[in-house]
Amino acid sequence: MARQPATLLQGTLDLLILKALSTGELHGLGVSRRIEQITGGTFKVQPGSLFPALHRLEEAGWLSSTWDASENNRRAKFYALTKTGRKQLGQETEEWNRIAVAIARALEA
Amino acid sequence: MARLRAFFRNLLQREAVERDLDDEMRSTVDLLVAEKTRAGIPPEQARREARLELGGIESVKEQVRDARRGALVDSAVRDLRHAVRLLWRNPVFTLTAALSLAIGIGSTTAIFTVANGLLLRAAAGVPDPEMIVDLVRRNPFKGPGIDPMSFPDLVDVRQRTTMLEEVFGYRLEASPASLRVDDSATAVFAGVVTSNYFRALRVPAAAGRVFDGGDVEQVNASPVAVLSHEFWMRRFAGDPDIVGRAVRINNVPITIVGVSARGFRGSSIVAPDLWLPVSMITVVWTEGGPQALTNRRIVWLMLGGRLKPGVSRAQASAEVAALGATIQRDTPPNPWIPPEFSREMDSSSVVWSAEVASPIPYGVRTIAAGFVGLLIALVGVVLVIACANLAGVLLARATGRRREIAVRAAIGAGRMRIIRQLLTETVLLFALGGLAGLVLARGITRVLFLLLPEFPVPVNLSAPLDERVVVFALMLSFISAVLAGIAPALHASKSDVVTALKDDVQGSSDRMRLRNAFVIAQVAFSILLVVTAGLLVRAFDNVVSVKQGFDPRNVETAALDLKMGGYTEATGRDVIRRLRERVKAIAGVRHASLADRAPGPDSISFGSITLPGAADSRGQSSFTTWTLIEPDYFQAVGIPLLAGREFTDDDRAGAELVVIVSQRTAKRLWADRDPIGQLVSVRAPQGPQVATLQSKDLKTRVPETQMRVVGVAGDVTFANPDQPLVVYVPLQQKYLSQVTILARGPADQSLAQDLQSAVAAVDPNLPVLSTASLERQNNGPVQTALRVAAGVAGTVGIVGLFLAGIGIYGVTAYTVAQRTREIGIRLSLGAGHREIVRLVLGQGMRLVAFGSIAGLTLGLGAGKLLSGRQYGIPQFDPVVLAGAAALFALVGLAACYVPVRRAIRIRATEALRYE
Repeated sequence: MARQPATLLQGTLDLLILKALSTGELHGLGVSRRIEQITGGTFKVQPGSLFPALHRLEEAGWLSSTWDASENNRRAKFYALTKTGRKQLGQETEEWNRIAVAIARALEA
Repeated sequence: MARLRAFFRNLLQREAVERDLDDEMRSTVDLLVAEKTRAGIPPEQARREARLELGGIESVKEQVRDARRGALVDSAVRDLRHAVRLLWRNPVFTLTAALSLAIGIGSTTAIFTVANGLLLRAAAGVPDPEMIVDLVRRNPFKGPGIDPMSFPDLVDVRQRTTMLEEVFGYRLEASPASLRVDDSATAVFAGVVTSNYFRALRVPAAAGRVFDGGDVEQVNASPVAVLSHEFWMRRFAGDPDIVGRAVRINNVPITIVGVSARGFRGSSIVAPDLWLPVSMITVVWTEGGPQALTNRRIVWLMLGGRLKPGVSRAQASAEVAALGATIQRDTPPNPWIPPEFSREMDSSSVVWSAEVASPIPYGVRTIAAGFVGLLIALVGVVLVIACANLAGVLLARATGRRREIAVRAAIGAGRMRIIRQLLTETVLLFALGGLAGLVLARGITRVLFLLLPEFPVPVNLSAPLDERVVVFALMLSFISAVLAGIAPALHASKSDVVTALKDDVQGSSDRMRLRNAFVIAQVAFSILLVVTAGLLVRAFDNVVSVKQGFDPRNVETAALDLKMGGYTEATGRDVIRRLRERVKAIAGVRHASLADRAPGPDSISFGSITLPGAADSRGQSSFTTWTLIEPDYFQAVGIPLLAGREFTDDDRAGAELVVIVSQRTAKRLWADRDPIGQLVSVRAPQGPQVATLQSKDLKTRVPETQMRVVGVAGDVTFANPDQPLVVYVPLQQKYLSQVTILARGPADQSLAQDLQSAVAAVDPNLPVLSTASLERQNNGPVQTALRVAAGVAGTVGIVGLFLAGIGIYGVTAYTVAQRTREIGIRLSLGAGHREIVRLVLGQGMRLVAFGSIAGLTLGLGAGKLLSGRQYGIPQFDPVVLAGAAALFALVGLAACYVPVRRAIRIRATEALRYE
């Protein structure tokens, strides 16, 4: 049963980006690949959504960015979680779990 | 914090931010390519796949830009810069568009300014207008009208209120009066106000003092007066020595104590030259004055209040309503009200309230608002025409810019983005127009005031340019910008990228249709304006006094009050005779008479007339208008005498009581019988009796008198078809101290000075209250309203006509340009000039025809709306409708002239080479 990758809700995308960066800094493409990896390929983030989201989160102060050499020695823009970003991830995870539990319960009922 | 920093960084360091974004995209492509080559894809294919996966770098960048902080501001700034550049490049377009908008916005704003000044705020010169309220009462069963209150009413409210800091009152009318300083007399208009009037309005003195509340409010207690600043300048050239001077007003010694602040001309539409305190009401009102401060039945004051700080108008209104209800309950009913009016007059249904203060009295505000609404609608139509015109031009420009727009769409600009950009241009255009309109509005307001006739009393027309007006103009500009710009912008943004980039074929037919629709709308609305103007002019023509049954031309009037010269009824009769003889002796005077007042819409009654023997005179009575006259009256004012005789010197006191009735009255009372020699009876109280009588006294204390009809006079109408009974009675038999001299003189020569000296020759101490031509006397609200409306409609009609002409020209010229190739082909296939003319002209005139049909239909509707009985506007006027249609056919032909000429000059060879 071939399915289109699930579409992302805005809040979900933010959460996934924060999560993807929780283990270390990544460049834009890296974030995209990492999300694919941690969601087992369920979510495939389009660049048209990813880059605006990265810039938005950076402007919100949750990410910081630096130019650095990439794995094949090219210059790339790397994103990392800031302290507030990490706090935000914690909060959003908690929130998400609460919702997920609630929805799961609702669907079982 | 981070967000704010980002906001400023995005706006101020745009280039760095952009470069950063650019680098990031490029490195992402590189990374992606590297990833794919590592997976074994050949480099070229890898590059292609990478680009596909990214889905358009420019588009991603655009999306990132939109996600940024301040994206809206940023793009607005960019759009604005783009718009300025575009408008700058097309100065002719920009100027004409802004000018036509300025006219539309300016005239609408001008009317709003006037409406604001007259209806929505306290008079100019009042420091904080929002604290002032009008205290009014309204009978829901009665139509609009001014309902003054008595002085005891005012005192009651003043004593019991807890919400109002001050309760003040003023007499709405400004009485004509004679101001004598040393030996020179000036005719002035005197207002009467409570002594706390200036304090409540916070109007200070420019010299001396204003009434400060210390003046005692008892009859004749404070013989003082305050001059208006305007009058002080006009009459005394700002001489400070006038303060403290003892003068005589209507022969009563008065001290001028000061001058009110500059810019204040009274709290109502009437602008007095000077103010007297209520205690001096007898100076200008000898009849009712002595009782005016104590009798609750004598109503003559407009009430106002100043809110205590922190109290809202609604709170004050609730309190005033409660106080009013108590006052109404305690007021004895008036016995002189005929029973058929009892419900209208029933005091228990009267509701008191506190309303927003404004120069136009509350009771007639709805009428004034309706009139202003008509004017706003008229000028609003001009704005609509200007917008339609501009929308058409914008649409044409959008067509020309399809390529530019398509390119922008191709590089990833969303539809909203493009619409926003196109709208920015329009809004900028309207902002220019709005600002110019605001400036223009000042001038238009002044022109509007020039349209006004000379009024019988000075009026206080102020149109302050307050923040409300500015907000109105800006809102108006913005809304019309969006309305005019939205259709072209939607249309342009819809363009299909591929076809727009590919071909250059003329704009889609559906766009052309839209443009045609705009032109049709312009023509239709302009016709509507012209038709309305025509109807109003016809109506104005109808109320011009000649058609009202008398001839006001070359008649000079002078108003007197014989009491002011110390005359009683016994001595007054004689002086009336002497005055008439003296005036008749003036060289050039053909007819001279006196009457209690000049012919006009006002009415006075001394009781209802009935046929003798009618069972109960109160049961079947109908309101009767009395005019008290001297011999030669009908000749003097030009009312034809249809049967019988005029009054003569023999119709004096003590002789048989006689009466002349109007034609309609005669018809009503005697149908087809000859009225001459018939008797009518009247049961009416005499002078001061009126105020003290109770209704049960009517039969016992008031004797019935009978009068013999000696003549029938022509009907006089004042735009009021429901004429009551009208009778004329000799002044010698029914004396009144307030009289008006009427002298018919030669054309183009004012008799004002002659009347003054004639009165002075009879009695130098008898003040002349005012002199005015009879024509000026009759410039009442209806005449004024029609005159202004006709003037405004005519002016906007011409402007609309002009704009519609431009619209027709624009669309026809555009079509010729678009169809150059087609015309060339037709020419080369042997078509003659005749066919080409028919082609182009047919196109333009078809629009005119459609517009005319729509416009005439609208005009019929407007006629229906306007044809109330109040103004006597005809509902349907074939001459006006046909005239408007013919006018527009002409305008259409004129507008098509240039495009047609251009079309027939097209040469086949050139045309085929053309693009």
